Amino acid sequence: MRLQAALFFAVCLSPAAAIYNDEVNHIDFHHALLGSPSPDSTFFLKPSSTSNASLLYTISDKLLVGAINPRDGALLWRQNLSRSADSPARGGLLRGLDGNDAVVGAAGNYISSWSAQDGKLAWENRYSEGVVADLELLELEDATATPGIRDTIAVVGSEGSGIVRRLDGNSGNIKWEYRDDSGDVPFQVSSSPTEVFYISLQSAMLKGYRIKVTVLDPVTGKQVRQQTLNSESDVATPESVLFVGANTASPIIVWTDKSQKSLKVNVIGTKEINSVAIDNTSGLDIRKITVHAAHKTNALPHFLVHYATEAGAWAEVYHVDMKSSKVTKAYQLPYLPGHSVVATSVIDANVFFTRVTDSEAVVVSSASHGILGRWNLPESSDVALHAVSDLVTRGGSVSVRSAVFREHGDWQLIRNGQIEWIRNEGLIDAVAATWAEVDAQEGLAHELEVEGHETIYGAYIHRVKRHVRDLQYLQQWLKHIPERILSSIFSDEVTNLDSFGLATPVLVATKNGRVYALDTGKHGAVLWSVQAVETSEWDVKAILTSPGTATIYPNDGSSVTLKVSTGDIISRTASSDSKIHSIAVFGAQEASSLTTVGVREDGSPVTAFDEVNGFLVTTSVDGRVLGWIAKDNKSPVWEFLPPSGQKVVHATARPVHDPVASIGKVLGDRSVLYKYLNTNLALVTAVNEKTNIASFYLLDGVSGKVLHATTQSGVDTTQPIASAMSENWFAFSFWGDIDSNESSAKGYQLVISELYESPFPNDRGPLDSASNYSSLHSSVESPPLPHVISQAFMIPEPISHMTVTQTRQGITTRQLLCTLPSSNSIVGIPRPVLDPRRPVDRDATAAETEEGLFRYAPYFDFDGKWYLSHARDVAGIKQVLSRPTLLESTSLIFAFGSDIYGTRATPSQAFDVLGKSFSKLQLVLTVVALGVGVAILAPMTRRKQVNALWKAT
Amino acid sequence: MQFSLTSLLLLGISCLVSARSLTINIPVSSPLPNPHVLPATTHATLTTLPSGGKDHILSASLTRSASFVFRDLPSSGPDSQPESYLLDIRSAGEYVFAPYRVDVAADGTILGVWETFRGNPWDNLGAVKYIVDVAATKQDDVVVEAKVVARKAFYEERAKFSPMSLVKNPMILLAIVAMGLMFGMPKLMENMDPELRAEFEQHSRASPISGATNNAMTGGGFDLAGWMAGTSAHPTTNTDAAQGGATGRDTSGPARKRG
Repeated sequence: MRLQAALFFAVCLSPAAAIYNDEVNHIDFHHALLGSPSPDSTFFLKPSSTSNASLLYTISDKLLVGAINPRDGALLWRQNLSRSADSPARGGLLRGLDGNDAVVGAAGNYISSWSAQDGKLAWENRYSEGVVADLELLELEDATATPGIRDTIAVVGSEGSGIVRRLDGNSGNIKWEYRDDSGDVPFQVSSSPTEVFYISLQSAMLKGYRIKVTVLDPVTGKQVRQQTLNSESDVATPESVLFVGANTASPIIVWTDKSQKSLKVNVIGTKEINSVAIDNTSGLDIRKITVHAAHKTNALPHFLVHYATEAGAWAEVYHVDMKSSKVTKAYQLPYLPGHSVVATSVIDANVFFTRVTDSEAVVVSSASHGILGRWNLPESSDVALHAVSDLVTRGGSVSVRSAVFREHGDWQLIRNGQIEWIRNEGLIDAVAATWAEVDAQEGLAHELEVEGHETIYGAYIHRVKRHVRDLQYLQQWLKHIPERILSSIFSDEVTNLDSFGLATPVLVATKNGRVYALDTGKHGAVLWSVQAVETSEWDVKAILTSPGTATIYPNDGSSVTLKVSTGDIISRTASSDSKIHSIAVFGAQEASSLTTVGVREDGSPVTAFDEVNGFLVTTSVDGRVLGWIAKDNKSPVWEFLPPSGQKVVHATARPVHDPVASIGKVLGDRSVLYKYLNTNLALVTAVNEKTNIASFYLLDGVSGKVLHATTQSGVDTTQPIASAMSENWFAFSFWGDIDSNESSAKGYQLVISELYESPFPNDRGPLDSASNYSSLHSSVESPPLPHVISQAFMIPEPISHMTVTQTRQGITTRQLLCTLPSSNSIVGIPRPVLDPRRPVDRDATAAETEEGLFRYAPYFDFDGKWYLSHARDVAGIKQVLSRPTLLESTSLIFAFGSDIYGTRATPSQAFDVLGKSFSKLQLVLTVVALGVGVAILAPMTRRKQVNALWKAT
Repeated sequence: MQFSLTSLLLLGISCLVSARSLTINIPVSSPLPNPHVLPATTHATLTTLPSGGKDHILSASLTRSASFVFRDLPSSGPDSQPESYLLDIRSAGEYVFAPYRVDVAADGTILGVWETFRGNPWDNLGAVKYIVDVAATKQDDVVVEAKVVARKAFYEERAKFSPMSLVKNPMILLAIVAMGLMFGMPKLMENMDPELRAEFEQHSRASPISGATNNAMTGGGFDLAGWMAGTSAHPTTNTDAAQGGATGRDTSGPARKRG
């Protein structure tokens, strides 16, 4: 017990177990994700007029605007537009222009301009009228305009009218506005140096749409002229218009007739419709037509139309004659089986097309069909969806880098046929994750089992044989010894601890039915990824692992079992009818067999769990908490209903692996406060949205009895209310506001409560003499109520998710892991800081100081050393997992939700590891120096002793 | 204080100065010499309790000029109450900004901006950053300066190996002094007057220091193992340890006095 005290004291002296600078990227890894890049709003762009290198910009399906360094795929900056946009958008728009040092993005009714170099806001606007339908940057050569700043033309579509606005490039203020109240569908906008074209779709008398082009003066915004194209027989929906060019490089509107026999092209601003026959030699139906044209204003007006059928694809290149407004076919890229995508790039005025097929990448010029460069690509089963490319010419040869987005969510940069980097954007949809259990030791375990079941003599022979067999590795092992010794002394690496379970792969299941395995030892690289289920809404409830395999349980009652090493699907079970709200797992995580019971939305178990001896606490969708026992899945044993007006929003219990190293807490005077340890505790959060009240109920899971309840008023119930529980304590956080009778402060609060058996030290309350007790049948009041000590702290930030670090024996101090959504960090608050027994309004006495207590302060800021994510921007985390390793000091942390982040936590410092600060070289040198000292001093002493002997006599 | 505040609020409502946007500039300060190094995720938020369907959490991103702009502060009907917001600026956890209190009238005009202190009553106001001026002319934009309080250190410094630190080690210093005595003392003694030397030798034999050393050798000092095992009530008393000496643990004391 005193060892505990000593250890605790030692921990308190050095509570900061921060990450060292040289451990960054070694013990942690981070995937900063954006999501699927939008095909129309992804481009290479020079961030400013002075820079030579271009960056890759995109807006994703998650409405994240981001800039990526094309050299290594690192995210330079990102901004989340979905937070600012009021109305749910169908997709975002992002536009950039060479020579403009900002990119302009729009999502829903929100339009904003961001500095291309560092992602800081230039201006933003929120339109109450409606949704931004399209936007373009104006390439106007304005004498008054400052270089590097271009104005924006935006189309805002609202009920029955379309508004074209010219926005100042510096401030975002409206320069002019053109209002079209004719009831047409606002469609797109296009610009030229002298005119602005507003393209809208006019409903025809019977069906279909006529394309209406309104020409506006770019300086005043006045209507110059208007043209209507008779397209109603071809254009049935707005989607039927394939392409509207942005500027003079592609001054065209493209659509096809209904039978996809001919391509209709109109040069914007003219009335003629060019009809070009589609030369479909494949004999198959055309599935998809895409038009690719240059975006840079000085480029030649050449464009490429890409036709894809079920089995293959070809492309045709057309030239536009601006004078005669005629469109002519230049040449054709041949039909190739398989999939292909095309990207456009511009050098000076020349347009180049890069075609990426399943096996090769080809670069052609828009002027002629001669192949300028061809590279073979590594085999990939993943279909390319779209690509952008950046081209440089050196001498006669070309060099191309293409960012290809593939169907399975990988974004690759292919430079001259070599894959430079891969961003696994599919991981952004992660819904569940767990650590895999690798079956590396399974062979040995099997051998030992065989030995255990044989006679003594047989087992002996078996073991001798096994050791003889192992001798074949001896030579290899001996060969590596000098290398290992040298590397352990001189190498700069932190000790390799993979064999202690620190490099376990993580399995991640995503919403679109994919399963990824991430190697935590290699910066979270993807080991394999498989499409487990073809779905877009895979609501995974649980992933259970056993050595070598993992089973995934989604909400439809089915399951998929995978092999951990390769991702091969071993077995599936069919889905059941009932929709599952959650999955309950029986049996300890270490046990060989785990059983699962699905829980319906009304809280009742799907099946009676006869074979397991246990109980179950469930929450139902309508906000009740129910208790069940085996054999009966019809009627609950107990039911907990919060007071009227309140609804249950969250419930948490102690983690499955929650070892308690000490049953008591040693006080400064060597007396003991006994912890209230009940494995069946559940903490239920209930809120009343009308009166801004949050209540926290501590329930006993077996009897359903309320052990403790606390109510907070002035709580913002729309903000996250996080809670966590471990050992004999629980914590929760919320936004607390001024309340007439309870609180006079405004801000985020964190409340910590500890449970003890009795308020008096060395007293175990009613359980003192009991050898065992039951929650239901007992002579003492059952279950006894805990003595609760609480303290509240003001914290600077909201906490969206809470969990507790787990270690093997639970001796290491715990950290409360909190996800901070507003600063995109994960922080681990050491438990000694959050001690509710800290003395209030007085300094700690000597005895309390010995316990590690110090004076209570109502506010504490998160220390920089507590940040597990240190300077990283870990955004959108929904869940944080913790797992013990074979090292008591170390706990593995994995966070997912939007970004993926993995690290190790050492709450009491890495006391069982010789870290990098342990210099082996210094040790060796010291031993050598001592040896030399002894060698010098020994003869001297001997001589002295001999002399002394002679003197004595 | 309380009275003056309420009166100010009342005055603010009555005159209805239209200040609808709030701009917060980040000044150059010693923890943050260049405000342009702040990451793009830096943002400011105004937070209060939800009431009457108004936006109760407003957010503003960092602009290119290192400032935050809240446009169109929420307004509701003229009969509703003024709202009091907590202004927080958060910058990826690294730079710590002082929180402000921003009072907004029902029509969206700003009544005042004060520094506030976390963990204190909301009515405890700090330095006034802006307060509505009844007599002044119409002011559209309120501009206040943010206050950078500190910069957080995320990383632990690793102790570097240097020969000097080795020499500074008290153990090594002791060893050096001992060596010096060992080699130097005989030389000193030789140079001494023979009479004085004899006196010195006699003196050192009877000295109390050597007596204490002898005592320590036989079981003095703090018995940590005994204290941890719980056998010794008072860890620092010698008598306790001496009693324990009878049980044979006396050797453990000097054994650990290594070096």
